[in-house]
Amino acid sequence: MPDIFYPKTEQDVSDFIFDNYNKSNPIEIVGHASKKIGRLIQSSQTLSLSSMSGILEYFPEELYIKVLPGTSLSEIETTLKQKNQFFGFEPNDLGYLYDGKSNSGSIGGVVSCNLSGPGRFKNGALRDHVLGFKSVNGSGGKVKSGGTVVKNVTGYDLSKIISGAYGTLCAITEINLKVSPLPEFEETFLVNDIDYAQAIEIFRIALDSSLEISGACFFPAANASFLTLNDVKKDTSVLGLRIQGPKASVIERMQSLNKMFKDKATSMLDTYQTSIFWREIKNFEGYANSKEFVCKVSLPITNMVNFLKFFEKTNYKYFLDWGGNIAWCSLENQSDLDKMKIFCLKHGGHLTVLKANDNFRKSEEFLTNSDSNIKILSKKLKESFDPKGILNPNKMYAGI
Amino acid sequence: MPLKLPEADTTIIQDKKNIVQDLFKITKNIIHSDEEIKPYETDGLSVYRQKPIAVVLPETTEQVSKILKYCHNKKIKVVPRGAGTGLSGGSIPLADCILMGMGKFNKILETDFDNRCVVAQPCVANLAITQAVQHRDFYYAPDPSSQLACSIGGNVAENSGGVHSLKYGTTTNNLMGVEMVLMDGTVLKLGGKHLDSEGYDFLGLVTGSEGLLGVVTEVTVRILKKPESVRAVLIGFDSIEDSGNCVADIIAKGIVPAGMEIMDKPLIIATDNYAKAGYPRDVEALLIVELDGTTSEVDTLIDKVLDIAKMNKASYNRASNSDEERMRFWKGRKAAFTACGVLAPDYICMDGSIPRNKLADVLSYISKLSKKYKLDVANCFHAGDGNLHPLIMFDSNDPVEMKKAEDFGADILKYCVKVGGVLSGEHGIGVEKRELMCEMFNDNDIQQQLNIKNAFDSENLLNPGKVFPILHRCAEGGRMHIHKGKDKFPNLPRF
Repeated sequence: MPDIFYPKTEQDVSDFIFDNYNKSNPIEIVGHASKKIGRLIQSSQTLSLSSMSGILEYFPEELYIKVLPGTSLSEIETTLKQKNQFFGFEPNDLGYLYDGKSNSGSIGGVVSCNLSGPGRFKNGALRDHVLGFKSVNGSGGKVKSGGTVVKNVTGYDLSKIISGAYGTLCAITEINLKVSPLPEFEETFLVNDIDYAQAIEIFRIALDSSLEISGACFFPAANASFLTLNDVKKDTSVLGLRIQGPKASVIERMQSLNKMFKDKATSMLDTYQTSIFWREIKNFEGYANSKEFVCKVSLPITNMVNFLKFFEKTNYKYFLDWGGNIAWCSLENQSDLDKMKIFCLKHGGHLTVLKANDNFRKSEEFLTNSDSNIKILSKKLKESFDPKGILNPNKMYAGI
Repeated sequence: MPLKLPEADTTIIQDKKNIVQDLFKITKNIIHSDEEIKPYETDGLSVYRQKPIAVVLPETTEQVSKILKYCHNKKIKVVPRGAGTGLSGGSIPLADCILMGMGKFNKILETDFDNRCVVAQPCVANLAITQAVQHRDFYYAPDPSSQLACSIGGNVAENSGGVHSLKYGTTTNNLMGVEMVLMDGTVLKLGGKHLDSEGYDFLGLVTGSEGLLGVVTEVTVRILKKPESVRAVLIGFDSIEDSGNCVADIIAKGIVPAGMEIMDKPLIIATDNYAKAGYPRDVEALLIVELDGTTSEVDTLIDKVLDIAKMNKASYNRASNSDEERMRFWKGRKAAFTACGVLAPDYICMDGSIPRNKLADVLSYISKLSKKYKLDVANCFHAGDGNLHPLIMFDSNDPVEMKKAEDFGADILKYCVKVGGVLSGEHGIGVEKRELMCEMFNDNDIQQQLNIKNAFDSENLLNPGKVFPILHRCAEGGRMHIHKGKDKFPNLPRF
């Protein structure tokens, strides 16, 4: 078992990394260790940022919160809710996927994975909400970037590059995140008995309107049991469109959707049901305890229909999110997964494996490696932060 | 006006004839006579001027790649340039550089409504993107004030914003992909028509990197459907504090307006004189709030905003009842820079971002500085996103006044950083603010950024002399982080 070091301060992190930099010891950086994403790491040392926890600053009227990396996401979200605010990127709770129950982990881990929930296509991704950070790089140097303001062109925007870097560039020691007001009211418009091609067309019509749709998902009949609400049919396909905002406006826009799709089988979910419906999607609750591969397929919308058609005969489950920009898939066979990767590469997208067995995580890539030039640049970037390659080595790509 | 730039390599300058001949083999579009080069010797920061060896105007990505590769091999510096409207001197040439003008990359390649994006060459003007899609009621959200002329590639370099950033974000939040060429000629495709590329977010890193990491040759941006209704309100206050409190209360109530702008009294008078916008002239601060969405939503929110204004002692309010009236509200604000140009021979526009609640504090400090330096100043403020634009008026023919204006600007930015803000919200650092970087960053921070630059451009040939301080180390002033008595990067060049 590797030694686990629990720092209390940024200086502790700096001293620990500097010491291991001198000894060329690889370090695994973890938060709450709730996510089993990325390649498995062999390391003699573990740096657990779980001991650096707490909210440092929260100014609701300035729309930002400053936190330590080990702060639990649920604690932050509870604090935000008390002031009627939330993270617009709707962070996923990946606990269901890995342990069958809620465990949203630490904010440092959330930032390091750059995953976003159903509102991503309207509100932006996680990386759009990171305003600034402090960190320690691979030689023990304290490095900061950004600030607490939304508009900032002062040096390179390193907040973007550490989002989704899986801890391979630096150990994050402080994070400033943008927060948004919670919508006053929300409802969900449901359409049943349609196929995926019709679903994509409904997305197109709804998202091309001025109705400001903030959630757009589709479950084929074979995967409708993913959703547990009694008011959601389980024996047919389900498409959901979420509308949020001031109550009068939501009601008015729901009426517009009714008119727009009056020839379809439609129904609606109220505010209470809406929050459950989208929570189950955000947290992949329907894939809880699955023994299969779970992956994210990201494609231009116009290629998503081709993807679904191409894999029509394949044994896998999926649902569409982000207005058809993305498919969250669950499948048993690695050979099917490989075929999907190739399809994504050929059609201007990518595939990320969110859940896999340890054998896969030891030897296979969980990201789609497309361009050798990007691989070379990724290696150089890694070296610019971590010259000896000691931070989460091989976690992102073999050799990086 | 002398400007310290990296030392010129005289052997390169002396070799001009051969370099031009070599480049002529790649593209015939080369300008190298003194007279023809003149328009390229400066950009939007026109107090600084410098002629390059030659200007190349490539037409294809392949030509860009060949030119960069040639310059990389010959160790010739390259400065990229879009429309040249940048305000921080990011496109100012060096005496021993090739200026790469992207002016011929001026076509919209694809309007893709199904994927809700536009693919454009980098020198397409920002506004031209909206014009290309507005027949189907779509638009491109970031709207810098120079949107008629500024190029979308330049927007990527500076991460340009505009008055609607609070709700719709800046360039980085609306950019889906780029094709770019590294200094060694490598062509990269980052992102595309899908969301969220995996791996390191190079797209995010390149946005706002001020032309130091690569030359963008193609841009994919997302387009949005126009809102059903847009209305604006003008609200006057007897003090700047009240206007700032009103903005904080609007946000605290959960309202996210499309835009919120504050002007101080000198600017209200200047813009109203110039644009005849019909502003109240007896208020100390004027707040413009724009709301968009469905008709009922906007009408409800306008009432809420007016209630909040009343609670914050607003002395004047007027809501727009037509699009013409709304445009009239904006007419003065949008003429702010021109109006100041009428008041004085020259002005410098500063660009700090500050926490919104520090507005009154910062404006009061600016007012003290105005008295100290005996220079007039007018202020506009993107209140929604905390971006402050003080306009310092002076006469550049008077070198003493010019120096005073520069010092005045630097003092403002230092104070912005002191209250928790940053040096630049949307204009970039360029040459203008590079020496102030040490106000925000210590030696370790800057060294990390230089290491990244090194990963993209190992010879430091692409747009050198910009963004990072060259006159002194940030270590000066005792801020350098020496860990246990050791410099972390003993082998790296210092600056």
